[in-house]
Amino acid sequence: MTQVIGNGSIREDAWGKVFGESKYPADFNRPDQIYGVVIRSTQAHARIRSINVDKARLPGVITILTAEDMVYNRHGVLFRDQPVLAEERVRMIGDPVAAIGAESLAAAKQAAALVEIDYEPLPAIFDPEEGMKPSALPLHPELFPDTNILYHLPIRRGNMDEGWTQAEVVVEREYSTQMVDHAFLQPEAVLAYIDERGHVVVQVATQYAHYDRGEIAHALGLKNSKVQVKTTTVGGAFGGREDISLQIIAAMMAWKTMRPVKFENTRNESFYSHSKRHPMKMYYKTGAAKDGRLVALEAKIIGDAGAYTSWSPNILRKAAVHATGPYEIPHVKIDSYAVYTNNPYTGAMRGFGAAQPVVAYESQMDLLAKELGISQVEIRMRNLLKVGSTTATGQVLTESVGAEACLKAVLPYLTGKEGRV
Amino acid sequence: MDYFRPLSIEEALGLAQQPGRLFLAGGTDLSLHMREGRINPLGLIDLGKIAELKEIRLEGEWLEIGSMTTFYDLGQSDLIRKQAKALWQACQTMGSPQIRHQATIGGNLGNCSPAADGLPPLLALGAEVELVSARGRERVLLADLLKRTPLLESGTLIKGFLIPLQGWDSGFAKLGRRQALAIARLSTAFALKRQDGVALEVRAAFGAVGRRAFLSEPLAQSLSGRVLNESWLEDAVKGSQNAVAEALGSRASAPYKRVAVGGVVRQALKTMLGGGNHDGD
Amino acid sequence: MEIKLEVNRKHYILDVTEDERLLDVLRNRLGLTGTKEGCGEGECGACTVIMDGKTVNSCLVLAGQADGRRITTIEGVGSRRSPHPVQKALVEVGAVQCGFCTPGMVLSAKALLDQNPKPTDDEIAVGMSGNLCRCTGYDKILRAVRKASEEVAE
Ligand SMILES: Cc1cc2nc3c(=O)[nH]c(=O)nc-3n(C[C@H](O)[C@H](O)[C@H](O)COP(=O)(O)OP(=O)(O)OC[C@H]3O[C@@H](n4cnc5c(N)ncnc54)[C@H](O)[C@@H]3O)c2cc1C
Ligand code: FES
Ligand code: FES
Repeated sequence: MTQVIGNGSIREDAWGKVFGESKYPADFNRPDQIYGVVIRSTQAHARIRSINVDKARLPGVITILTAEDMVYNRHGVLFRDQPVLAEERVRMIGDPVAAIGAESLAAAKQAAALVEIDYEPLPAIFDPEEGMKPSALPLHPELFPDTNILYHLPIRRGNMDEGWTQAEVVVEREYSTQMVDHAFLQPEAVLAYIDERGHVVVQVATQYAHYDRGEIAHALGLKNSKVQVKTTTVGGAFGGREDISLQIIAAMMAWKTMRPVKFENTRNESFYSHSKRHPMKMYYKTGAAKDGRLVALEAKIIGDAGAYTSWSPNILRKAAVHATGPYEIPHVKIDSYAVYTNNPYTGAMRGFGAAQPVVAYESQMDLLAKELGISQVEIRMRNLLKVGSTTATGQVLTESVGAEACLKAVLPYLTGKEGRV
Repeated sequence: MDYFRPLSIEEALGLAQQPGRLFLAGGTDLSLHMREGRINPLGLIDLGKIAELKEIRLEGEWLEIGSMTTFYDLGQSDLIRKQAKALWQACQTMGSPQIRHQATIGGNLGNCSPAADGLPPLLALGAEVELVSARGRERVLLADLLKRTPLLESGTLIKGFLIPLQGWDSGFAKLGRRQALAIARLSTAFALKRQDGVALEVRAAFGAVGRRAFLSEPLAQSLSGRVLNESWLEDAVKGSQNAVAEALGSRASAPYKRVAVGGVVRQALKTMLGGGNHDGD
Repeated sequence: MEIKLEVNRKHYILDVTEDERLLDVLRNRLGLTGTKEGCGEGECGACTVIMDGKTVNSCLVLAGQADGRRITTIEGVGSRRSPHPVQKALVEVGAVQCGFCTPGMVLSAKALLDQNPKPTDDEIAVGMSGNLCRCTGYDKILRAVRKASEEVAE
């Protein structure tokens, strides 16, 4: 057997990259291509009274797409709750409303500035805890008629009363993490065209080519077999290329005009056109016995899903499952929620919901150690999951539990004595 | 839009007579402002081919710096390191290598952002600015120029800067959010003329507090003519905190910057006060 | 407007528009798509090229400013048969991930080593400080430049 782990190997694609030969989507062009620009919502929550494109019909403008041009105007990785182009309502700043295709990028931009959208602002929700209130206006009544809570996962283990009775010290705190953009270095770009078979071909940097194909085919009313998605070299993604960004709009524009269509986001446009990391509000109450053993945890985790579902349920599930960290706790009550707001929609990003609770559970460990007068290392050593441990979700770990070995291995590299890091 | 490439100052001034034309130096501010649609000039007068504007030289009692000198050139210059230490220090951390290769000191003044790194050092060093226009030449203290609105009449070219060589020692420090490509949240430059452990004269300038970089006269006076010791340093810190607090008033950043300026001032003074090793040699 | 350019040792006389950037000239007129646009505002360094021996962000250079200048883009550095030491080191050290920053990194490192074949670690960090990478965490890139400098200095 070849030894793989610990053996450096050279990546296949590295040579093409150091010579600048690798092609990202913006590096492709086709003869006779038209240039697309997306017009995005400037409102966090509004009803669209009207879209007037008359002034935008400048020389050189080939087509102007709005929601009516779509056969089926929705997409989404879990629920199809995201319009390709806004219908009667926008739910966040950056929602695509219309798209211009023109002979040059300059003409497309000039025309885009002349599209008049009449918005009637609606009350917007920016704080998920506000969105959870029964009085809040539901943002997706077709999916959730009377609430903005699109996901709730309760986890229960043991008996909380018993846990708190055993606790010598209890630390109760609130934590919150911020919204983060992936800022992959290559802004989204796409080239869509109709090939010699009459199929729609979409060249794009994506994490999810087969899903893209399905969503494009669905929105255009075509069979999957009539749509081909070619994944180019991808300039970073980190989760931010799992949802649809420009793919469907470009495909529809090519389908409608029968000409190749190129879209290239600026960095600014890129920030508006993909998901973000979920900000989470985390209420933690953790109890430990005199000897430093954790005995009880009660946690409430609220994730801001923003305007659309994307992967929110999966991410808040992961946040809940990881809420105890790598520690064994016998009495546990965890509730995680994903809540719609009018913030930018949130989705996959490195860690997928497991990253945020770290801030909470590790801070709790430090605070408990201080209360108990033991070291930060000591309290962790006493509670780490081992082979044979049961997690909060009832899983018995039977093999490959490396936490203790890992902590021991890194200790010599941490500065400071007495386990203070 | 028109694009001109004059070969002399006279030619450039002639071209600048038409309204709507702007001088183009490195373009690191100007081309971005154009792309953002903040300005729409009818013509650009590219100063890049006028060799005379790129010189750094000693001229009698003055150190002359052409407006088209890049931050990179200044940061590489021994003359600047020896005679204008604060400016030299500012050039090491301004932007990134790519930006320093392109951005000019004249453009730094022309754009005149509150956070312009070149201005506090030039203020502290007592620099004068040489302006030329169809109306003639003018030499003005930078500190006075920065009080004018607008900064420059249209068609006025910044020819260069003149720093008096009077044995001033100087230091600069800035606070950014990261180590490179950091727009200053706060910057300071101090200049000091000293003899036998006494600060005969002092100048103190601040950037990124308020609309434009400025010299603090009261602070300079309170520190002049005093023995350079611990309590002088503590008073420099306290006085800077007061100057910053006053300049910022009730702005949201005031509570933070009032405290942060202490560290920035200590850093700027460290290179000067650190046991005689003050000229960087 | 007409400009003269030397790009990768080839001479061009081009008719460009006044508001065109050097980046657009390279990518759209000359088809040199190895130069990337990551931000369009001087922050990321993906568009780095070498102009008269010094790195610049080609997204901030107007075509007119490049008139009469000598430009090196990634297409002008190394080849599969004979890679530049920086290119070789980036590959061997594993400093290339998505690769979008890589052309800019190669040019910044090359320009640094051309001027200063034996840089200190601090000088490498400063020399590379105008190039952002979102994938690698920089450590391996800096190591690759160090490795390349050892080869260049030999
Ligand atoms: C990524 C990035 C990072 C940056 N980091 C910093 C930083 O750390 N510190 C800092 O101070 N700045 C920074 N800047 C801003 C900018 O680089 C500086 O302000 C620079 O000095 C501008 O010089 P320029 O030669 O590029 O000017 P230009 O952009 O060419 O011109 C700026 C203005 O000055 C006018 N002008 C230029 N030259 C003259 C002249 N000779 N006479 C009359 N008017 C003139 C122009 O008409 C224009 O209005 C940064 C910019 C970018 C894009
Ligand atoms: S694209 Fe030029 S610096 Fe980012
Ligand atoms: S390798 Fe992806 S940005 Fe550097």
